[in-house]
Amino acid sequence: MKIDCTIDGKTLTLSLNSDKPLSLILRDNTGDNDTVNHCNGAMCGLCTVLVDGKVMLSCMVPAFEIRGKNVTTFESFRKSKNMKDIEKAYESVGSYPCPECYASRSLIFESLIDEGITNPEEILKELSIVKCPCMDPEDEIMIVRRGIEIRRKRNVRRSQFA
Amino acid sequence: MYEGLSSPNIHTPKNLSEYATVILHYPTSSLWAGGTFIMSRPDSYPSRKMNAEIIYLGDIEELHRFQRNDRFAEFGAMVTLDEILSTGKAVLPGALIENIQKIGSRLITRRATIGGTIATKDFTTSFPGTLIALDATAEVRFIKKKRLHSRWLQITRLLDKSGRIVLPPQGMISRVRIAFIEKNCQYFKEVGSFMLDPENSVAVAFTAMLDQDILINPKIAFTYPTHGVCYSRDIDNIFSSLRFPVYDEELNTLESMIFTFIESSFQNISPLQKTRTRVLLYEIIDALNEETLTIPTEER
Repeated sequence: MKIDCTIDGKTLTLSLNSDKPLSLILRDNTGDNDTVNHCNGAMCGLCTVLVDGKVMLSCMVPAFEIRGKNVTTFESFRKSKNMKDIEKAYESVGSYPCPECYASRSLIFESLIDEGITNPEEILKELSIVKCPCMDPEDEIMIVRRGIEIRRKRNVRRSQFA
Repeated sequence: MYEGLSSPNIHTPKNLSEYATVILHYPTSSLWAGGTFIMSRPDSYPSRKMNAEIIYLGDIEELHRFQRNDRFAEFGAMVTLDEILSTGKAVLPGALIENIQKIGSRLITRRATIGGTIATKDFTTSFPGTLIALDATAEVRFIKKKRLHSRWLQITRLLDKSGRIVLPPQGMISRVRIAFIEKNCQYFKEVGSFMLDPENSVAVAFTAMLDQDILINPKIAFTYPTHGVCYSRDIDNIFSSLRFPVYDEELNTLESMIFTFIESSFQNISPLQKTRTRVLLYEIIDALNEETLTIPTEER
């Protein structure tokens, strides 16, 4: 099956099995071995990607569902301004995820910051998919709240200059 | 890696009449809703079936509809659990909300659909049990004489003798209707992880109207993921005959009756599941006892 999609800004036409999980597509077809894991459905939460700006577990997304969609992996997201906001939030709270879950947590933080979710329960529930115990729940809540503040300030500055 | 070996054909009907045409041409096709259950199976890829046909229901507009009046809420089968939570948290029954929240992260609830959670193959999620306790009904679409027919059925009517949800051949669930019941006792609890440890997990859903010291219209359903839903009107009737608070002797009788029924339905549930079922039953009875005892005696 031929599938047209955009992965990390590149428009690709991939020839692959229609039910192949996105996590495997990224590993086999685009050579992204660092940030994407394939846990065979154990829901480890380490394979998150952004599909049309929404965070998803790439092992749950079959190939036929990415037709015409825009997939962003952490590899390209790390160069974006949004990631800079998250890095600033890490720095200001003084807590960083471990290298194992850095990519996944950062993408989930991005989705929470983008949606402006500040409710501690909702934040922790969203992050509960990542089983890695490297971060304190209070720090996670602080990072999201700090990230929202930083993002808002940046947006205000941008609108003033525009 | 396995490219071209057994790539399933994907059909993406845009409406129900297109779906009917596709299912008539490919009667053995598998239906694909959110895909959370299918994709979470370790052997989901590569597909072992040769010439597999998949009908993806996500593009059928009718299945994404949601409507509500003052008596019930009606969800299309492709409405996600997250959408249900965000649209009806204030009005929907507590047991259903509790069940959705138990799933946890929105990364899962954003993809899992109400229809998909009912109609999983060879596996039972905690939702059919909750929907049975809530007296929910489902619209089943099926092919008869080469035409698509529909029928509203109670979820209990979809259960076979072994407690599994069974749909008619080439059938699908298109809508689910949940009534806004005024039952003041609603309880849902899941012990263990259905997805990661299905052999040992159990869920219970219980709803009833507690009026003074008796239960009106109680419904209780135990769910064992690899076996099915354990629901019986006889157990409901036992609950109706109780007067609360229930003391040890009555509780022992109730427990033995329930276990006799569970063991006759499911011969090989694990010892841990039995223990967990017992604990869940005690928790429900304790909650009901507490509720009854907190009502002032003059009101009882």
